[in-house]
Amino acid sequence: MTAEGAPGRWRRLGHRLGVRLLTGVVMVLAVATLTFFLVHAMPGNPIQTEYQTLIARGVTPSVAAQQVAGMYGFVSNRPLLDQYGQYMWHLIQFNLGKSISASGEPVVHLVLSAAPWTVIPVLSGLVVSFLLGVSLGVVAAVRRTNRLGKVLSVSGSLFHGVPQFVWAVMLAYIFTTLLPIFPFGSPYNILDTPGLNGPFILSLVYSAVLPVLAYALSSYGGWLLTMRSSVVSVLGDDFVLAAELRGLRPLTQLRYVARNAFLPLFTILLLSVGFMFGGAIFIEEVFDYPGLGYQLVNAVNARDYPLMSGDFLFITVAVIALNILADFLYTFIDPRVRRAA
Amino acid sequence: MRTSSADLPSPSTATAPPVTVPGEAGGAEIRGLVVVFGTPDGEMAAVNGVDLDLPLGTITGLVGESGSGKSTLALAMMNAVPKPGRIAAGSIRLPSVKDMTQLRGKALRLARGSALGYVFQASQNSLNPLKRIGAQLLDLGRAHGMEDKGVLLARARELCERMGLDPVRTLSAYQHELSGGMRQRVGIVFALILNPRVLVLDEPTTALDMISQRTVLDIVRDVHRDRHLATLIITHDIAIVADLADYLAVMYGGRVVEKGPTRHVLQSAAHPYTRGLIAAIPRISGDIEKARPLVGRPPDLLSIPRQGCVFRERCPLTIGRCSLEEPALVPVVKEPGGIFGESGDGAPGGHAAACHVTAPAGGDRSRS
Repeated sequence: MTAEGAPGRWRRLGHRLGVRLLTGVVMVLAVATLTFFLVHAMPGNPIQTEYQTLIARGVTPSVAAQQVAGMYGFVSNRPLLDQYGQYMWHLIQFNLGKSISASGEPVVHLVLSAAPWTVIPVLSGLVVSFLLGVSLGVVAAVRRTNRLGKVLSVSGSLFHGVPQFVWAVMLAYIFTTLLPIFPFGSPYNILDTPGLNGPFILSLVYSAVLPVLAYALSSYGGWLLTMRSSVVSVLGDDFVLAAELRGLRPLTQLRYVARNAFLPLFTILLLSVGFMFGGAIFIEEVFDYPGLGYQLVNAVNARDYPLMSGDFLFITVAVIALNILADFLYTFIDPRVRRAA
Repeated sequence: MRTSSADLPSPSTATAPPVTVPGEAGGAEIRGLVVVFGTPDGEMAAVNGVDLDLPLGTITGLVGESGSGKSTLALAMMNAVPKPGRIAAGSIRLPSVKDMTQLRGKALRLARGSALGYVFQASQNSLNPLKRIGAQLLDLGRAHGMEDKGVLLARARELCERMGLDPVRTLSAYQHELSGGMRQRVGIVFALILNPRVLVLDEPTTALDMISQRTVLDIVRDVHRDRHLATLIITHDIAIVADLADYLAVMYGGRVVEKGPTRHVLQSAAHPYTRGLIAAIPRISGDIEKARPLVGRPPDLLSIPRQGCVFRERCPLTIGRCSLEEPALVPVVKEPGGIFGESGDGAPGGHAAACHVTAPAGGDRSRS
């Protein structure tokens, strides 16, 4: 244990990170394969339709194929396995092809321009709900026998049970129609010129309040309930009674409990970031946010295969990367894992 | 067993005379302690009218089966009986505390740990798994107003060495990096770091192998002598305390049914329950068949008899009076040519038992 030098520990940690990253890449490729075939298994094929239209107009098959290829970035009438090979070959060069619905636009650009509209509100909402849910979860656990604790627990179940889109619609109705204090229908005031100027940034923040609140309220209950049950289980541990009987300060006792109870939530937190990217569809629809969820819905409707795959891939990479990060950071916050690593 | 106080390291023993005698002032004194637990059928007594003295310089062994109330008694000494239990009557005097049962809030918090050191039954897991042991010792010191890190650490190092632990390694370790025996010794460090005069060890050797048991018990004996403590060792295994304790108290059904100097209690046990416990000790060498288990099961909170002797249902000597009247704890009178040896001399050193048959009140020697 202590006899072992620090450099050895770092080398092992580095080795482990390397292995994890490699596994992560393999997982991403596996998911990319699955999504490719799933997406192409969907009924309806716009490229074939386009190709057939050209043929019907009397264009020769080779010219038609060329035109379609020029438009969509790949040749559609080749066997699916060939298309897959080409897709993967492009993928490892970070080339996700061109969008079908937004003709010719590279998918990478589209995904990266939509990502901030999802990532920033989701992260803000998550931070707010996590801080609120976790701290109130501690209170709900410590005061679980009296009224305050019961009210908090019920609020947790209630908030957890209301679906995201209901929150979104409810907030939109209350704060833009009943009490018109927040803007609606656009992620920023269209009268402001986009860029790094005060009024534009202010209108961005102002318009983001309701979506962020919708994310926060919909995930708050889950955090509260999880933290509550985690704290309750830690409160039953021997060391908590020992701390009390040794006469530690109440605040110190609470810190001991909270830190131990927090551990299992840490992994869930990082994983839920990835999942919330995928679940952003309803809130983005309601508030007209041009984020990933919104983009994904449109891509599915338009059978825009490359864009769909791109969006799925982004969410996949986010989940896998955050999982690796959680695993890695865990070794820093839990000494028991650190030594066993 | 006794030491003179000439070589005591602790400066705060001004009140302790050099030679300790039973009942000497300055130790812990439990009087008429009653602990009840609320149940659907009303409040039930888990500890019922216990008087116990823990004089300085003396190790007392508290022996009993599970459910006899011994751990509840220990928790009551910290005024930490868990709900739905409460201390219903009695007083607990400690060297620096007039009555532990009267303390509340911050005064109670400060008295815990500094007036009475407690080594937990589950000492294996008595520390925060996420914090280094040294840091937790500092937390403990700060909680009791000891802001001087240097003094505290020096004391911790000294205690670790006393326990046969490598101070540097131990203080920078996490709980999971220590073995069971080491954790138990660290538990004793935590109990003693604030210099309490009373040390309570709840099942200190449970879950340890034989070698670690011996080590821990030797350490307990040594620090007890060094620091001139009043030590209470709670155990279900009478063999553990047989050669360690100066005094024995045997608990059954929430009552102390026999107490006295260890030698007297072991050699001429008066209470049938104590005799049963001694007969049940298995010997490491010799025929295992010689160890005779006690028949029956100890009562729990709900099945403790409300009237008469609590032991009568498992007792081989029971008479009619046992089911009517609860026997009082009275001095044991020497039994002429008694079955348990010749060492008795009247009521030696406060040897007392609660039994209508073997220790009848008022020195009544007529036996059935």
